[in-house]
Amino acid sequence: MDLSEGSALGVFTCELCELSSPYSFYGQKPPNTRAIVLLEECYGMRDPFCPEREKFLVLGSKCSLCCKTVCVGTDCSLFYTKRFCLPCVRDHLHQFPEQVQNEVQRKKSVQKTSSS
Amino acid sequence: MSHEREKSQSWDWDSPQCRAQLDEVFFRQHDYIQTGRTEHKEFWTFFERFQRFKAKKEMSGSKSSRQESDEGKARKKSGSVDLGLPKDYDARYRINISVCSKDIEERLGGSEHRRRRESSGPGRQEITDCRLALLHFLDFNQKQSFNKLSKLRREQKSLPIFQYRDRIVELVRTHPVVVVAGDTGCGKSTQVPQYLLASGFDNIACTQPRRIACISLAKRVSFESLNLYGSKVGYQIRFETSRTTATKLLFMTEGLLLRQIQQDASLGQYQVLIVDEVHERHLHCDFLLGVLRSLLPLRTDLRLVLMSATINIKLFSSYFSDAPVLQVPGRLFPIQVIYQPIPSEEQVSRSEKLDPRPYLRVLQGIDQRYPPEERGDLLLFLSGVAEISTIQEACQAYATHTQRWIVLPLHSTLSLAQQDKVFDISPPGVRKCIISTNIAETSVTIDGVRFVVDSGKVKEMSFDPKAKMQRLQEFWISRASSEQRKGRAGRTGPGVCYRLYAESDYDAFASYPVPEIHRVALDSLILQMMSMGLGDPRTFTFIDPPPASSIQTAVTYLREQGALDEHGELSSIGRLLAQLPVDVVIGKMLVLGSVFKLVEPVLTVAAALSVQSPFLRSAQHNPDCSTARQPLNSNQGDPFTLMNTFNAWVQVKAERGSASRKWCRRRGLEEQRLYEMVNLRRQFKELLRTHGLLEDHAASRAVPQDRARRRERLTERQKLHQLKRDHELQENTKRKVLRLEEGLEGDASSASDGEGASSGKKRKDASEQTVDIQEVKFKLRHNVNELQEAACASADLSSRQQSLLKLVLCRGLYPQLAMPDEHNATRKDSEQVFHTRNKQGVVIHPTSVFAIDPEVLHVPEHESSEFGADKGQSNRHQLLAFVTLLETNKPYVSNCARIPALQALLLVANSVDTNVDCSRLVVDGWLELGLTDGAGAMKVLSSALTLRGEWERQLQAQLGQGGPGSSAGLGLSGPKVSRRELEKLCEGLVRFLLYTEVSYSLRRLAGLQSQNLYIGPQKDPDLSSASSLGSLFPGMKPEPDAIKGGLRVCSYFTYNCLRDSKDLYSECLRSFWSCPHCDLYMPLTPLERMQHEVSCRPPEEQQPEEEAEPESVNTSSSSSSGLTRVYHCDICDKDLTLTSTEILKHKRQHLS
Ligand SMILES: [Zn+2]
Ligand SMILES: [Zn+2]
Repeated sequence: MDLSEGSALGVFTCELCELSSPYSFYGQKPPNTRAIVLLEECYGMRDPFCPEREKFLVLGSKCSLCCKTVCVGTDCSLFYTKRFCLPCVRDHLHQFPEQVQNEVQRKKSVQKTSSS
Repeated sequence: MSHEREKSQSWDWDSPQCRAQLDEVFFRQHDYIQTGRTEHKEFWTFFERFQRFKAKKEMSGSKSSRQESDEGKARKKSGSVDLGLPKDYDARYRINISVCSKDIEERLGGSEHRRRRESSGPGRQEITDCRLALLHFLDFNQKQSFNKLSKLRREQKSLPIFQYRDRIVELVRTHPVVVVAGDTGCGKSTQVPQYLLASGFDNIACTQPRRIACISLAKRVSFESLNLYGSKVGYQIRFETSRTTATKLLFMTEGLLLRQIQQDASLGQYQVLIVDEVHERHLHCDFLLGVLRSLLPLRTDLRLVLMSATINIKLFSSYFSDAPVLQVPGRLFPIQVIYQPIPSEEQVSRSEKLDPRPYLRVLQGIDQRYPPEERGDLLLFLSGVAEISTIQEACQAYATHTQRWIVLPLHSTLSLAQQDKVFDISPPGVRKCIISTNIAETSVTIDGVRFVVDSGKVKEMSFDPKAKMQRLQEFWISRASSEQRKGRAGRTGPGVCYRLYAESDYDAFASYPVPEIHRVALDSLILQMMSMGLGDPRTFTFIDPPPASSIQTAVTYLREQGALDEHGELSSIGRLLAQLPVDVVIGKMLVLGSVFKLVEPVLTVAAALSVQSPFLRSAQHNPDCSTARQPLNSNQGDPFTLMNTFNAWVQVKAERGSASRKWCRRRGLEEQRLYEMVNLRRQFKELLRTHGLLEDHAASRAVPQDRARRRERLTERQKLHQLKRDHELQENTKRKVLRLEEGLEGDASSASDGEGASSGKKRKDASEQTVDIQEVKFKLRHNVNELQEAACASADLSSRQQSLLKLVLCRGLYPQLAMPDEHNATRKDSEQVFHTRNKQGVVIHPTSVFAIDPEVLHVPEHESSEFGADKGQSNRHQLLAFVTLLETNKPYVSNCARIPALQALLLVANSVDTNVDCSRLVVDGWLELGLTDGAGAMKVLSSALTLRGEWERQLQAQLGQGGPGSSAGLGLSGPKVSRRELEKLCEGLVRFLLYTEVSYSLRRLAGLQSQNLYIGPQKDPDLSSASSLGSLFPGMKPEPDAIKGGLRVCSYFTYNCLRDSKDLYSECLRSFWSCPHCDLYMPLTPLERMQHEVSCRPPEEQQPEEEAEPESVNTSSSSSSGLTRVYHCDICDKDLTLTSTEILKHKRQHLS
């Protein structure tokens, strides 16, 4: 039961939203997941919300452009063949397909209305 | 291509066979998701949705996307960096996971393989489809879990205490004691332990006043620290622990930490101790603080954190040499306070029922002022159960009329299922009206409350040392409680608090509630202090010292109980009792019972008397329940009824498993209490074992189980564990929605499952279908067959064993005895009156078997003569031994057993005083027994003294061996007490209890009589009689009693000290007597007779030393000169200096 306990490599902290959590693996291969490979180098841990032992949860990774450590939360980054932090996405918004652009724009407006 | 298409046509995604083939590809034994698991099922459900979604999307088509992306391309040229992103959007690019299945593809690519599968197997397209769905499924799961994490972190951040995280950690690092004060909702209980854990502190213990809080906090904190399925965070309470070696943060009760200090005074296993809710001022908590305060100088590395509401903080800080205080604002929404004092015409005197009008006005007011769409429930605080049912009735009538309220009571004597209803949700447009005791002030937190009605009253238990009685009395609450109640309205939004008293009343309230240590009996506390070596309790530095008188009362009580000796030191039984986490009386029963080999029944009785009664009050007036209960009743008393009930329940559990639930309901029993009993029983057994009071059964009947049986049991256990886990996972599922008529069925049909409301029945059936988690836990924890054996054993106790058990109960409960009033036989059943030593006119609690059947307590009419000197004489007088005396509206005794008066008193009483011929006995200064048959009286007394001496000797021998710390299972067959001796003692005691044929009168001494009872000290005590008594009790030295007068023979027996006593050797007391064992026949005084009886035993009992003693009177020089007197023997015609015994022996010489 406690195999994963105490095996934290360090603490992952998102540079944008400050979400933090201990991580227990870094890389493209979550432990004991057989055929699963990640398409980026990720910080991850055992999925704390799943009773089964071998389930993993990706916390975040580095932005492929600015190298900032960001979480996978939709307010901080998105994945489109590579990881991009949202500031970088905004900087290069035109290079992203329409679906992504709409998504990011929608987010902006939601944030605006909720903050006002 | 055409080939492929052909195949897809024959491919059917809905066919289980087709799915199974893909399972073989993606969900094999060692894959991330395995066939058969829940996730696997979830995948296929997801798959269907995914396919539908895809199909819909294909239908609508994506016309504009290409155009747009062309546009994007055009713009890209002006940008600086080329990100090299694919031009055509595909959801697949948004997923950072891939599933590598090269091996399978190769397998399918192989021509041979292909041919084999051609007709039915999945083709490339199917595999691709399935993989894509799988990727989306995995991504979806990742998102879900991550959202949980981010929501959790957001919530943590938004707690008021979050701002103080670093400050708290810093303070704890630099100070031995820190006080964290914060109001409800600031998050201290869940966050502070986590902050410390995260900043590197290990081995943290956090105490809670309530068991339930330990469990729920451990669960919450382990979830928040992302360790829900690990054991980094655990709890430990009386019967349960989730602690493992990996546990770093442990939630536990205050009492349990105190027990641990008893074992390990330095508490070396902890680095940080957090004492939560110190402001509640529970007895254990106050004591714990005192103990920790004296521990701190010895453990400079230990860190102590006190957590409190923002009440009286200075008190705690200054108690720990001005420890730093960190005050955290709470998170309460604004609450409007409305004072609505009850008009005088609606106020009631003590005896009347509460007037519901002020309460109904509040309900009406809410209905008028707030539209039903605006949600928000009402919480109403009343002082007690009776008040609750009065108001509930009135509110229910109003609710039935308006259809806008569901009325629910909440107090601790309700069944757990009923208590649980307050957490359910009301349907739209309907509000819950929860009518509660102060249980909802701190113990139970209900969300969604918007309105609070505060009666300003509370019922609190206090101890009356004069009457030796608990008392449940109504008081005004304190300002602190009042604020606490108000706060309950502002947890989830702005609220309103209606106070049914004036603001001036509020100002006149005490600031804080009276701490428990000032209200309750301190016996257990003092006993524990003594055993911890904390010195004189009167000089111990409590945070708020209890009155000296209440310490004195406790010391006296413990002395009466035999836990302290005459010098106020712990006796050997007291040392043992201090180790047992139970009431002194219960502990005594356990110890005494195991000495008599009555372990199984006494365990059951002790457990039953330590938990709340399983008999539901609501079922009391239900004739069906009474009838069903009838076979369980024992007219010997409530402990026996409880034992029967427990045994019968165990049988049902063994034979029919979870059918016991129904069995209990039919009898109006709260099954939860029976589960508690069985757990407690097991704990008691462990305690007896570790204290060497239990023979190790495991060794003696190690029936080798065959492998198949063992395997079977193992599989069953695994299954049970799985069930338990599943249940735990489901526990957070949504709450039920209440029905409008919910409040109605509460009292009427909850206990019976007769015709009841059909809706009620439906609800029950639904609950029956869910896993009976208690049953699962029960099966995991206990070996049903073993229990069944034990139950069988104690179900058919012989009358001999039953008497012994009763004696054990009686000695355990002593001095808690009550005497029936002499006129009870002529009174109605409901008007039976009893008297204890300190309280007159108590009544039997209506739940007792004696309330139903009081006649068994009466002296049979034909047996007691009503006239002349024999008035009131009988050999059937009985007393009640009781567990609790509690005054509510009347003083009630509950959990009673009936005992034969004379016999039991002589065997257990602390003080037995007699006149010269022992025809008059006074026990404990309040019960007078008159025996007209002098010879009979003497015989009874003499055998009682002998039996008691032997009982004490054997008890001491066994306690001496198996005292605390002894790990060797020194059982009852130890060398000091032989089996034969024990059996002989039991035989003697039983014969004494059952077959003592002596008639006597029994009465209570009036106040004046008990004041002028004793002769008082005499100036010229007759020392010769002292020496003569010495022979009655080998090893004891009778001395003139300095207070009562007469002779103090042993700690509990004083001879000839009663005022009517005559001269000891007065000739007129002599009467002819023949000894059954030797040829002696001569006129003797009662005293001389007793002496002879002791020295003249049947040959087989005589001890060798006695025989070796020289017979000759003249050689006797052993006796101290002061105890001899000059005796003139007429036959020898000589003056001899002899002790009384020697005189007797000398006389005997001449006779033979
Ligand atoms: Zn982030
Ligand atoms: Zn970036």
